[in-house]
Amino acid sequence: MKLSFIRLLLLGLLLSTGAKAQMPHDAIYMSKGQVCVAALYGQSSWNQYWEGTLKRPNLNIGTHTTHNVMLMPAIGLSNRFNLILSLPYVWTQTSAGNLMGQRGIQDLAVWGKYRAVAVGGFSLHAVAGASLPLGNYVPDFLPMSIGLQCRTATGRLIASYRHRPSGLYLTGHGSYTWRSNIRVDRDAYQADGRVYNTNEVRVPNAFDWGARLGVLRSKWQTEVWAEHNACTSGDNIRRNDMPFPTNNMQATMVGWYGKVQPRNIGVNARIGYVVDGLNMGQSTSYMVGVLYQFKVK
Amino acid sequence: MKLSFTSIKSGLTVAALAVSFWSCNKTLEEPQRVGYTPASTDEKAGTWKTYVLTSPTEVTIAAPKMPNTAEYAAELADLKAKATNLSPQQQEAVVYWGAGAVYRWNEIARELAARYNLAPASNAEGKYPVPDPANPLADPRFPFANPPYTARMLAYLNVAQYDALVTTWHYKYQFKRNAPSKYDAGIRVALPVSTIPAYPSEDAVVAAASVAVLKAMFPGEVPYLEQKLKEHRDSRLWAGMNVESDLLAGAELGTAVAAKVMARSRTDGMSAANNQVLTAAMIEGAKKLGMTDVWLSQESPARPPMLPNYGAVKNWNFDEATKVKLRPGPPPVAGSAQFEKELEELRTIQKGQTREQARIANYWADGAGSYTPPGHWNRTAANTAHEERYSEVRMARTLALVSTALMDAGVCCWETKFYYYSPRPQQYGVKTSVGLPNFPSYTSGHSTFSGAAATVLGYVFPGRAATFDKLAQEASVSRMYGLIHFRSDCEVGLRCGKNIGAYAVDRGKADGSGL
Repeated sequence: MKLSFIRLLLLGLLLSTGAKAQMPHDAIYMSKGQVCVAALYGQSSWNQYWEGTLKRPNLNIGTHTTHNVMLMPAIGLSNRFNLILSLPYVWTQTSAGNLMGQRGIQDLAVWGKYRAVAVGGFSLHAVAGASLPLGNYVPDFLPMSIGLQCRTATGRLIASYRHRPSGLYLTGHGSYTWRSNIRVDRDAYQADGRVYNTNEVRVPNAFDWGARLGVLRSKWQTEVWAEHNACTSGDNIRRNDMPFPTNNMQATMVGWYGKVQPRNIGVNARIGYVVDGLNMGQSTSYMVGVLYQFKVK
Repeated sequence: MKLSFTSIKSGLTVAALAVSFWSCNKTLEEPQRVGYTPASTDEKAGTWKTYVLTSPTEVTIAAPKMPNTAEYAAELADLKAKATNLSPQQQEAVVYWGAGAVYRWNEIARELAARYNLAPASNAEGKYPVPDPANPLADPRFPFANPPYTARMLAYLNVAQYDALVTTWHYKYQFKRNAPSKYDAGIRVALPVSTIPAYPSEDAVVAAASVAVLKAMFPGEVPYLEQKLKEHRDSRLWAGMNVESDLLAGAELGTAVAAKVMARSRTDGMSAANNQVLTAAMIEGAKKLGMTDVWLSQESPARPPMLPNYGAVKNWNFDEATKVKLRPGPPPVAGSAQFEKELEELRTIQKGQTREQARIANYWADGAGSYTPPGHWNRTAANTAHEERYSEVRMARTLALVSTALMDAGVCCWETKFYYYSPRPQQYGVKTSVGLPNFPSYTSGHSTFSGAAATVLGYVFPGRAATFDKLAQEASVSRMYGLIHFRSDCEVGLRCGKNIGAYAVDRGKADGSGL
């Protein structure tokens, strides 16, 4: 096991052609036959949240923290078509109160990214993504739940301009996410100001957009970004009630992302902060990762 | 530049997956309840024993105009005009209310309970403001429809419906004025017509009685209730089921009976149920009984306990002395071998809570924003009676037996809780996967409610007794899986509940229905 890993590592080093970890929202591609596997640890915590539009602390929660570890391979199937996969393991905890933390494998996500147009430094990309819950976790014990149990499908467009000599780039994206209904353990619940006598819950669809400005060089990358994620409908958390999967959750985040990958092994890091929101925590999030790139075939 | 075959295939897989999600619609499938002809007309129900009324004739209505009169002919003509050319909304209302008057008004009551089942938030001073019935829509809204409140609300609702319907049956079979379509075949009816006489209209009776109770229980919902009342009333005309005078007499009767029932509610002790001054003496009493650790609110800031004096509220099916007799012996005292064993059992569940244990805990949680355990059992009773095609009066009898037993269970359980003032598992570091109630642990309210309801339902529907018993056991143990109750809380609570339910069963056996 260990031996073969080292061999693989050496092989990777020999075949190195320049390192580029990539994400479903950027304009970066693995070239054909290249695979980059990211092992990431992230944590996100908040001690205030928006109950509807009311921003409040909750002494029975204190600081709420979500942790995750994730494997995320990006695969260059061709120079202009990449496949990206991710599978996180998530756990939650609070610093106060009695709520039991939840933990488990969350949702498997698959993304296909296709560079449709490339003219000079300008490029357009079409991305399709889907996710499927793999763990049988409880979706409606919010805010402790590790996910919502939705199946999702996302359509995304990315536009990017990169100034080749300097590596300066500006990228923008917009996406729409369809989210399936879910089943909860109870057979009656309240949402939209009424009682539903079923275990099926309608989770609102969502959209997001983001812009990123940065510099991408062969061995490093740095960028600042802003993102807005929001449901297209949904209800508000009622006064002093718990959140529910039907809530219209929204967040506007700003942050920084950076990566250093001198050879096949690299590291990346991300910091994000929610500046405004609805029906969710005002979180600060961190992510650090190790990247390993190799070539197959 | 060119796509490899593999990449095209992967791309297509992603796209196909995506399309399959896009096409899935978001419609929710909720069970639909529709009207039926009752399995029995229960024509002797006018003699059944009422709860608050001493006799059905305590409320009187005028004799109806009979079919051979010009007045009735005019009513039939008027109905014929109203029951045609219904708009889609009118048709929808006819089908909705056609599922049953008692059925729908109980559903509305549960919905209101769910909407109002939210504990007040603490204010800037760290205090919890008490909901004010004189200002029901201010924050915090009145009422906080917690389990004891909801149990009592449903008991009064179902007793008012039952007493009013027994009176209704008395007059129906005294006057024997049938459904309008029996006299004029030209009337278009949208619902099944039974041989039960139509004067006074049971729908109008139930609607008026229910609205009178619910207005008192949810004073902020008066406009909503009046709109429902009007729609229900009109739906009977649109459906061609009742003439105007059936409805008028019914409304009069329902209102009069509800007024008598609600007179009892003003003297049953509920107004003192939240008397927090009494808790100091309760804690002293518990310590004298040997309770070394007592219950402490686990909320920050500490929240005063929910309705500490609800145990003093008047019961339906037995007296004060019986209530004391029904109280169980003390729980295992903190530090005793039995207590340590039960605490260890919870710690083990916490370490390895299975998905099935979580499912059971969540299914029965019935916490904030739900219609509470009494509402859950009220729903089970109403759905079962609907499946059995019960007449309105028999449906009301079933719900009155169940809801009075549920309120009795709540009263006895609260009396026990504050008598022993026992600590929650959370006071020993146990976390929970459901909402943590803010009152003492012993005995479990879910277990007591469930034992009582299952016992009554097992009597009313003997063929399903084993099913109800199994449900009650699951509801009881769900509180251990959710980590908020010790085993003694659940097992003793379930047993107490069954004993409490037996009194409602005795009443049912002696109410003259022969059921």
